[in-house]
Amino acid sequence: MRDVAIIGVGMIPFGRRDEDTLMDMLAYASLKALDDAGLGDKTVDAVYVANMGAALLQHQTAIASSLVDRLSLIPAAAEAIENGPASGASAVKNGLLAVASGYYDYVMVVGGEKMREVTGWRATDFVATMTHPLAEYVYGITLPGMAGMFTRLYMEKYGVTREQLISVAIKNQEMGALNPYSHVEMAITKEGIYDSPHSVVNNPPVADPLHLYDACPVSDGAAAVILCPLEMAKKFSKPPVLIAGFGQATDTQTLQEREDPTDLKAVTLAAQKAFDMAKLKPGDIHVAELHDAFTILEIAESEHVGFFKKGEGGKAAISGKTRLGGQIPINVSGGLKARGHPVGATGVAQVVEIVFQLRHELNKERQVKNAKNGLTVNFGGFGNNVLAFVLRRVEQ
Amino acid sequence: MKEIAIKAYKCKSCGKIHYPFHDRCLSCKGRDFEVVKPLGNGKLVTFTQIFNLPWGFDQRFLIIGIVEFENGIKAMGQIKVQSSEELRTGMLMKPSWEPVRVEQGENVFGLKLEPI
Repeated sequence: MRDVAIIGVGMIPFGRRDEDTLMDMLAYASLKALDDAGLGDKTVDAVYVANMGAALLQHQTAIASSLVDRLSLIPAAAEAIENGPASGASAVKNGLLAVASGYYDYVMVVGGEKMREVTGWRATDFVATMTHPLAEYVYGITLPGMAGMFTRLYMEKYGVTREQLISVAIKNQEMGALNPYSHVEMAITKEGIYDSPHSVVNNPPVADPLHLYDACPVSDGAAAVILCPLEMAKKFSKPPVLIAGFGQATDTQTLQEREDPTDLKAVTLAAQKAFDMAKLKPGDIHVAELHDAFTILEIAESEHVGFFKKGEGGKAAISGKTRLGGQIPINVSGGLKARGHPVGATGVAQVVEIVFQLRHELNKERQVKNAKNGLTVNFGGFGNNVLAFVLRRVEQ
Repeated sequence: MKEIAIKAYKCKSCGKIHYPFHDRCLSCKGRDFEVVKPLGNGKLVTFTQIFNLPWGFDQRFLIIGIVEFENGIKAMGQIKVQSSEELRTGMLMKPSWEPVRVEQGENVFGLKLEPI
């Protein structure tokens, strides 16, 4: 197997992009990544497109074929990858394996989603289609609802508090306000969302015990990366970033069939596999992008990947250990919470953000100093399909 | 009163109870199952009150929880209270089989739960 590097990345600002079609967004992010890699007019061997909902939301299928046509990448191999909210990382994994195997040299992975085209009512239903049809979906359960039930269990077992959850929201929106790619560019205060009379109006419950500011927004957006063998990466202008490790694991579809529903086994396993492959430990990571679709998930994942012991993640968040300059900066992009969560794009966007960090390209308000190793966790379903990547800066 | 139409599946090899159906046992990979029905009342494992409802629900909120029946079957259902503040984990819930949503003008039945 060959070492695989990321030689180019591209992303468009997430948010409500009424003026763009899904294909527009995929094309814009792809072109930015191709240009970032300095590939010029060259083509790529294969294209993997991560997307969850085009068939349901845009009534459009076979979007990878459309994209290579639009970008004049014909006759590159092309296919779409659908793996729920983990589609992005799944597509990166498929690109990684294709290059590592030696079959392809240059692969483009692009993830995108256009969710704001439909009403919130429809978008909520679309995301809920990943739940079990008979045992869950029929009851009207939503992903915020699953997260609410999980949060209640986590609070009862580990003593996580609302203040701890809120500290994640405040941190991520503060960082999101500094990120030009963010959907939500508004810093918030504890007073505004928790302990003032205004907070009752500002921050109503959405799926108790979770409130509005515990949840990510519904977003449009796209992100792309270009992969090639490390040995060929050194001739390009941008510093290559090595995909040093990856891991993927699955779990039961329903929460109720897990022996301990607070135990996100797939997160633990995916991260362990990624660390083992990279020959690194959680303590070697300098910056992490965790899948904070809900504030509780950043806390729970920070424990399950091994940054903190079980029950310590909430305390670490509120004490500043996960802020820029802290023990392990988490979601200094703003995370899903502020950058947004166009589901098919998210896993790719997490990788793009870590590449920015490891290339030391960000301004000092967001750059983790001397970052060499980064981690991403992309969480599909409600933790039933999880992928993790360890990325490493390659010193030239 | 309609019968609770949940069918769970007890592995004939190791006894593990599954709901919903799996083709192979999650514990021992066995393929033979005995159908078992939920027994007695349910103990509330967790719950939430959802205010942003999906398409198909024209109401202000839904209260949904997971219960564990006396024979170990765990299942999701809608809870018949006006606020989640009336609920605590561990409460005993009486099950019933009632309409849980409407699809194309037809009632769809499912598990409803009410605190005892």
